[in-house]
Amino acid sequence: MKNLKRIFIYTFLSLAALVSIFPFLWMLVSITNKSVDVTQGRLIPGTHLIENMKTLFATVDIVPALANSAIIAVITTVLTLLLASLAGYGFEIHRSKGKDIVFNILLLSMMIPFAAIMVPLYRMFGSISDTAPLIGIDSLGAVILPTATTAFFIFFFRQNTKMFPKDLVEAGRIDGLSEIGVFFRIYMPTMKTTYAAAAIITFMNSWNNYLWPLVILQSPEKRTIPLLISNLGSSYSPDYGVIMSAIVIATLPTALVFFLMQKHFVAGMMGSVKG
Amino acid sequence: MKKVYLMLVLLVGLAVLAACSSGDEEANSGSGSEGSSGTDSITAWAWDPAFNIAALEKAKEAYDGDVEVKIIENAQDDIIQKLNTGLSSGTTKGMPNIVLIEDYRAQSFLQAYPDAFHPLTDVINSDDFADYKIATTSFDGEQYGLPFDSGVAGLYVRTDYLEEAGYTPEDLTDITWDEYIEIGKKVKEATGKNMLTLDPNDLGQIRMMIQTNGSWYVDEDGSTPNLEGNESLAKAFETYKKMMDADIGKIVSDWSQFVGAFNSGDVASVPTGNWITPSIKQAEDQSGKWAVVPMPRLDMEGAVNASNLGGSSWYVLNVDGKEEAADFMLQTFGSNADLYQTLVKDIGALGTYSAAAEGDAYAVEDEFFGGQQLLTDLSTWTDEIPGVNYGLHTYAIEDILVTGMQDYLNGTELATVLENVQSQAEAQLK
Repeated sequence: MKNLKRIFIYTFLSLAALVSIFPFLWMLVSITNKSVDVTQGRLIPGTHLIENMKTLFATVDIVPALANSAIIAVITTVLTLLLASLAGYGFEIHRSKGKDIVFNILLLSMMIPFAAIMVPLYRMFGSISDTAPLIGIDSLGAVILPTATTAFFIFFFRQNTKMFPKDLVEAGRIDGLSEIGVFFRIYMPTMKTTYAAAAIITFMNSWNNYLWPLVILQSPEKRTIPLLISNLGSSYSPDYGVIMSAIVIATLPTALVFFLMQKHFVAGMMGSVKG
Repeated sequence: MKKVYLMLVLLVGLAVLAACSSGDEEANSGSGSEGSSGTDSITAWAWDPAFNIAALEKAKEAYDGDVEVKIIENAQDDIIQKLNTGLSSGTTKGMPNIVLIEDYRAQSFLQAYPDAFHPLTDVINSDDFADYKIATTSFDGEQYGLPFDSGVAGLYVRTDYLEEAGYTPEDLTDITWDEYIEIGKKVKEATGKNMLTLDPNDLGQIRMMIQTNGSWYVDEDGSTPNLEGNESLAKAFETYKKMMDADIGKIVSDWSQFVGAFNSGDVASVPTGNWITPSIKQAEDQSGKWAVVPMPRLDMEGAVNASNLGGSSWYVLNVDGKEEAADFMLQTFGSNADLYQTLVKDIGALGTYSAAAEGDAYAVEDEFFGGQQLLTDLSTWTDEIPGVNYGLHTYAIEDILVTGMQDYLNGTELATVLENVQSQAEAQLK
């Protein structure tokens, strides 16, 4: 009886796992097939892998696009972690009535969809393009700035800071640390898992970000990976084998980041400081 | 200790600045000429490297001027998003000089951003192009677009399947959709293959049908929905349902399934725009088994055996460098018949510049299509396409029609369905 139950559970779980992993399997199989085979739904690995990769590297500049995506994602992640944790720390440790109002306004800003602020943002960046080309239209800086920190991550850090023992701050102060010192030497190391979770989410968001880079970046040499893939699918006769190859390459970094930090991620989502 | 932290913060700040500025150096070398000076280089946006981009490259080769032309490839949906954001923000920063816009969408761009486009009325001669393209590329009496590729539609047929059922391509030439359905039933009986693919979310089929009778989703004015009481549309809906009832359609749900269906030999015919030719030819083993015949027409008085699906045109934006951009357009797509010969020969891109059809390149016999002079045939049909004003709302109305079609297929009376979609469209497009 017990065995039967176990068999049932395992069959069910295997099926569920298969369903969720199937798109990935198909993607991996497709990079070894010709475009014609992909459209016909062939599920057996083929022999076209090397040709697909060759065509991919010959027809599109995938390496610069990967580099652009990496630069943007890393800087965005560092900035978000630093700014959002400083803000979250400030909101939770140094409390006052005024700050709560500011915090509520911040939370409200989470309700506004990005599409609604896109046109004004574009206008803003357009107006500073001539005076500050570093962050004007068609610069990587302009991609990073609007996402450099978001209300969500400030909220995320504040929530997690609630579990941070405030006695540690007092102890630090008594031992002669400055406020900045308390933050960097006591808060940061204690909240390691929260930082890890936030880092994964920010990195993935930034890596997959499509809409804003799309409208703000104009030169082909500044394209990020999602823009490049979108381009690949634009033709009247798309080469699906090549597109799939590009998607696999684009998926690897996020998958890698996730697997490396998976342990911390789960802990971070559950709350950083135990006990 | 404090100094250490200060240093740390400074370092991070520096790193950020450095990264931004290195990105910017690329900007200066890459596209420094955009906007400000504007006269030494112009940019053009288009989609599809094998088709429009390749055509631009050929045009650039043929162009004999001092201005450098930068060709930038973007997906079509991406171009729409970028144009909409850029133009509605009111800055011309980052906008291209030349952009390709699909004909179905052109009118809404021209109406929404009237000052954003540079009129070409005095630059090109609109009589030089296929008539049906002019209505969609002009607005308020001004010619804005330079008509580019022809979306002339043809019925691509598998001659081997037809033969099995006892038909030749001649039997499918100049027929009505009703006759097509009858043939389809026989073909399915004989070969077990479906006659065509049907995508319930893409009513291109309906669009092609109603244009054979010079009708569209909107009235002449381009904005009043013309659905209820539109006899051509009613007829097209009935025909679509007949196809479903006759069970001769293979249902597909996206582009890759559509291409997959004919590449794998699952359907006996593909009624669509001529730009599908490269995709058909992708299945090399089917060489010699295809032919292209004129589009079937609606079984109505006045309908012709010629229609259109898709097609796009070039537009010059009203930004610095517009004169240079207009000049580039005139010298290339606007007057160079030889360029169009190169385009059909090397790319298979069929233009709508009338003088070009005379050339040798159009007369070439295509072995894939059993030695048919495909390009000559297609350009002949191009001249017969009834001109309609696609208006402002093609895709918005189509979204409404897709649900209407589902209701109709599920048994709702046609009159009721058309009444519903009409009132929905009127409410939504006010």
